[in-house]
Amino acid sequence: GLITLEELHQQVLKGRGKFAQDVSQDDLIRAIKKLKALGTGFGIIPVGGTYLIQSVPAELNMDHTVVLQLAEKNGYVTVSEIKASLKWETERARHVLEHLLKEGLAWLDLQAPGEAHYWLPALFTDLYSQEISAEEAREAFP
Amino acid sequence: MVMSFEWSWQYHFPPFFTLQPNVDTRQKQLAAWCSLVLSFCRLHKQYSMTVMEAQESPLFNNVKLQWKLPVESIQIVLEELRKKGNLEWLYKNKSSFLIMWRRPEEWGKLIYQWVSKSGQNNSVFTLYELTSGEDTEDEEFHGLDEVTLLRALQALQQEHKAEIITVSDGRGVKFF
Repeated sequence: GLITLEELHQQVLKGRGKFAQDVSQDDLIRAIKKLKALGTGFGIIPVGGTYLIQSVPAELNMDHTVVLQLAEKNGYVTVSEIKASLKWETERARHVLEHLLKEGLAWLDLQAPGEAHYWLPALFTDLYSQEISAEEAREAFP
Repeated sequence: MVMSFEWSWQYHFPPFFTLQPNVDTRQKQLAAWCSLVLSFCRLHKQYSMTVMEAQESPLFNNVKLQWKLPVESIQIVLEELRKKGNLEWLYKNKSSFLIMWRRPEEWGKLIYQWVSKSGQNNSVFTLYELTSGEDTEDEEFHGLDEVTLLRALQALQQEHKAEIITVSDGRGVKFF
């Protein structure tokens, strides 16, 4: 579905073994743009300081993309946040979120305080592994 | 006591504790839950559990996140484990269950291997000796609970590798 550029880069490096040195993130972006031009269903969505790579031809339009970008900060997004940041009506926000759920790109969290949170696993695993590395670093060098 | 267990990333992911409405996502979620339950029970050598214990266990209660899997969803996870052959309800009222992170046949194999390796075919053992005797201290099946042990021996019995018998104060087994 969706994967961050960093995660994809890691996977590619793992797969290439001793040839790992010569693939940069820019190389990946170029390759994906080519694949996208060939109409293979690949997509690139800029979010914050990085990119989300879409590897499955899910139907994503501008509305979906902009909500994905909003989710980048915390790994999740809510109807209220969408209404506040993008000035949309409730229905439009709900519609997009339902679509993301349907495409398997977002997971629903009903235990969050206040209202339902819609999380993107693609963004979460990135945030989570960053947290873990930070923790590990702190433990290794107190 | 919670030993150092490596929780999967899903355990730290808040939506993991909400049953997902999307069918495909839900399948992934349930598969991850089943894996988590089996790994957790394997590490803690837990062979059975009551539903009450499950509800209060860190397994379904992420204290740090303050998220917990609601009991109806826990039931769904348990049913999934049962369908996969990793869980067996102990009583009609479904208040407790056997959790088989290792199948009875696999336990049977381990026990039989030990018996053969130590040249003890044709010997008789009490159930207690097998699970709590000094001789089996280093074996993985040491500490196995009785119900699971009996299942394992039944599996061996079917293969004609063992026979469950009655001994002076309970049950025992003869290996062939």
